[in-house]
Amino acid sequence: MAQYLPIFALLVLGVLFGALSFLASGLLAPRKKPTAAKLAPYECGIVPDREPPARFPVRFYLVAMIFIIFDIEIVFLYPFAVVFRQLHTFALVEVLVFAAVVLVSFLYLVSNGALSWGPGKWLRVGLPARTSESTIARVSVPPPPGRAA
Amino acid sequence: MSPGAWLAADPLFAHGVHWPELLIVLVKVVVAFGVLLVSVMLMIWFERKVISDMQSRIGPNRAGPFGILQTLADGIKLVFKEDLVPERADRFVFKLAPYLALVPALLIFTVVPVGGVVTVAGHRFELQVADPPFGILLVLALSSISVYGVMLAGWSSGSKYPLLGSVRASAQMISYEAALGLNVVAVVLTAGSLSTRAIVASQASAFWDWNVIRLGFVPFFLYLASITAELNRPPFDLVEADSELVGGFNTEYSSIRFAMFFLAEFMNVITMSAVVVTLYFGGPDGPVPRFIPTSDIWMPVVWFVAKTLVFLFVYVWLRAALPRLRYDQLMDLGWKVLIPVSLGWLLIVAAVLVWGWWGLLVAVAELVLALALWRSFSVGAARTRAKEVF
Repeated sequence: MAQYLPIFALLVLGVLFGALSFLASGLLAPRKKPTAAKLAPYECGIVPDREPPARFPVRFYLVAMIFIIFDIEIVFLYPFAVVFRQLHTFALVEVLVFAAVVLVSFLYLVSNGALSWGPGKWLRVGLPARTSESTIARVSVPPPPGRAA
Repeated sequence: MSPGAWLAADPLFAHGVHWPELLIVLVKVVVAFGVLLVSVMLMIWFERKVISDMQSRIGPNRAGPFGILQTLADGIKLVFKEDLVPERADRFVFKLAPYLALVPALLIFTVVPVGGVVTVAGHRFELQVADPPFGILLVLALSSISVYGVMLAGWSSGSKYPLLGSVRASAQMISYEAALGLNVVAVVLTAGSLSTRAIVASQASAFWDWNVIRLGFVPFFLYLASITAELNRPPFDLVEADSELVGGFNTEYSSIRFAMFFLAEFMNVITMSAVVVTLYFGGPDGPVPRFIPTSDIWMPVVWFVAKTLVFLFVYVWLRAALPRLRYDQLMDLGWKVLIPVSLGWLLIVAAVLVWGWWGLLVAVAELVLALALWRSFSVGAARTRAKEVF
């Protein structure tokens, strides 16, 4: 256990440091004077009018799941890297086969578009180019008579 | 490995654990802690000063000589600020998150070998806080835990921008963690051990045995890119992209809690630079080791600090020189370049180590697979375009 002792000691020291800093700040900081504006979520001065989103795009979960595939591969690679000198060709062939299998699953995911991240509008072809003509909304200026609104 | 071998891994514990050994452990831990805090202070000053020089500004120059105490002044100011918890926050998680960021940042430094073996009052010990047999796995595990700090901080704030920042951050950090892990495997292949001390020892004979050269440069650059992303440093600092997300995951934090995140971020930069030096540049080993007597205590430490400083400068330089990536470019780089190339290179290294030059046949096979991968990228993009799922 001797090798874990310093790590544990530093862990305790780190937590103590954090706790004492918070304590010091609690003692030294000005008394809390909360107001509605201070406690509201910060949105650059705009008063937030809806709840923060409880859900976010599925794409992020997908990344987590694909990560698991590679993480498992890495988990198997570490023992291999330590003992491959003893196991020689046997271990290497095993790892190559395993890597090939993981690669096939990766190919499947990628070719189904699991990792195509760009905004759909940019990936889509055939849309008119975005210029100042198409993006700037002219407010309160009536369209010239020759042009359709 | 038997418990006896574990104890013998650090010569300090060769004769069991007694009070003098415990005292040495305590001193090591306190010194490491103090050095880390002071170096964070200097690092923030260094970064601001170098960036201001690169941008033709003066930078901090009021607090102390050359503004060197500016970080301390900022820290003291933050302690005296009102500590707010937003009303929509999940209070417990909101207060827990700074610890989850700070503690892993501290602990990673424990496994970094700073110098050689020293004898004080009859006790031989290594200039390294701890040398566990799983050393490098601890680095990976703790860098995974620090994802929680970022994720929970943003999630518990109950606000839009922090949530977006933290969701992005966690996706980014786990993506690049895969690349990080794969490049560390390449180092473990040549060292044959997970202990950081053994990794350094395996590079000790001369500078052409440093892993950066022995592994053929590619893993080093991939590793550098992936830790830059893992640390959320520019050009990969999508987490706190201030032009679109206010301040990112720590927008709602104020006072000392904000300071903790800042501290953890810079501590991570320092420890990860130290880890790069350990893995790829021989750690405390000088370029011509035989030139320096091995009994010397200070030269290895000086080499270690000098090499780490080079990487700290590289981070600052990257921040000053490169514009931020777009999010889809970031994920593409991680998944479609870094991970496949790291895995491919790693397998080539393993095959060459086992089969000699015949191992290069694996490289030929990989070229074919790379073509298949290339094809599947374009198929994937085409299918996404066709579906218009957005």
